[in-house]
Amino acid sequence: MSEFLGYERSDGSIGIRNNVVIVSTAPYANDTVTRAADIVENTVPITHPLGRCQTKPDVFQTYRTLLGYATHPNTYGAVVVAHAGEIVDGDELAADTAETGRPSESVNIHEEKGVMNGLKATVDAAQKMVRDASEQRRVPSNMSNLTFGINCATSDTTSGLCQHKATAGAVWRLIDEHDGRGVFAETPEFFGGEQELAERAINDEVKEKILDRVEWWDERLQATGYDVRGAQPTPDNMDGGLTTIEEKSLGALVKSGSGPIQGMVDYAEQIPNESGMYIMDSPGHGAESVTGIGASGAHFMIISTGQGHTLSNAVMPTIKITGNPGSAKRVPEETDVDVSEALVGDQSIDWATNQLWDEISAIIDGKLTMSEALGESQFAIHRIGPST
Amino acid sequence: MADQLIEVVESADNVATALRDIEAGETVTVLVDEAERTIEMHDDVEFGHKLALEPLSAGETVTKYGTSIGDASTAIEAGEWVHVHNVESNYGRGDLADQNQSQAVQE
Repeated sequence: MSEFLGYERSDGSIGIRNNVVIVSTAPYANDTVTRAADIVENTVPITHPLGRCQTKPDVFQTYRTLLGYATHPNTYGAVVVAHAGEIVDGDELAADTAETGRPSESVNIHEEKGVMNGLKATVDAAQKMVRDASEQRRVPSNMSNLTFGINCATSDTTSGLCQHKATAGAVWRLIDEHDGRGVFAETPEFFGGEQELAERAINDEVKEKILDRVEWWDERLQATGYDVRGAQPTPDNMDGGLTTIEEKSLGALVKSGSGPIQGMVDYAEQIPNESGMYIMDSPGHGAESVTGIGASGAHFMIISTGQGHTLSNAVMPTIKITGNPGSAKRVPEETDVDVSEALVGDQSIDWATNQLWDEISAIIDGKLTMSEALGESQFAIHRIGPST
Repeated sequence: MADQLIEVVESADNVATALRDIEAGETVTVLVDEAERTIEMHDDVEFGHKLALEPLSAGETVTKYGTSIGDASTAIEAGEWVHVHNVESNYGRGDLADQNQSQAVQE
């Protein structure tokens, strides 16, 4: 397969979904966004506690993340809702979205003279946008346009032995056979495996960045004055048999395979167009890393889980794969692909990779994932410094 | 015959992962570097948890995936359950950094 059915955007990107997003720029616009999304069918609300009283590094990161969703390949158009005059500026966000050729509207609750008028303006804009979006049709598109994200979720010792291998197999099939891209994140989950990972970098610049970021995260954690255990590995990781962050990391890195690392981007920074495997710098906090990978432009996310997990994203479909037979039985509604027969039965990792690939192929053409069908998603922007 | 449900990732590893519940007192056979090794189980080890393939002294490196996953915090017998009660990490150790700092202040 070298083609899939996607939505063409005027900036050249191709989506596997056709979302209208309603984006809040600050906590004080969150309710308006949530209420508008309740009223207008087929809209995705994007709300968060940030965008105000933040210092510049966080302002850039918040802005870059929100813009990443407003201009995501899977996004048809965006309605941006601001409360008043915030440092993350709603008009600027709507204008930058329009630059990519996507429909965009900006609503300011203060300028509309209150929340009722603000809600009316948001609903009016979103209603028109979803009707326009519904007229767009999928067209055959080349798979080289696609980026697959990869993330762990409640890892256990089965992760590195089974499901991460199938995940690596599927992502490298996209890269090697279809000239696509892969991206993984969670820098503190490189601890203990960072030297081997850095050796896979295509040049010294990428190698140094990997090692620098791992050192930065370790120093930052040490600065707390506490043992990181409990935060990494988490209590559920430990229940699943993972003892230290090193063991968790060595397992986690299995999902990246063994091929070359093309580059390392900052949190929510766009993945370059060249085919290959990339890293996005992020914490191991799943909701934050997946939110960042979505903002970086990944079309689709493989969540490779040990104990089972709800982790998902509203704009970028997330498939859940597990090789833990207990988890597949315990949370079937959160398991898209059960490959436990490759861990405790007679099946091979190649079989597991094919199971995953077949399901991915259906989903990128429009089949709903388990979490999409349940309407489940989380959104959490990683913050760097304090609020002020 | 070696137990297919006890997995050793690399031949350099001194721990294995149980892919079934193992009971104390069982004699298990594992495959390490294509050679079978018999181990008397010292503890119960649940699915997904680890057992020691050989005796480890306190401070010795615990190896899985052919790489360190931390140090033994106490002596460990072959067949013993290996987990947070007897292994310590070497990353994110702000508690130790703090200790070193207070030692430096005392000195």
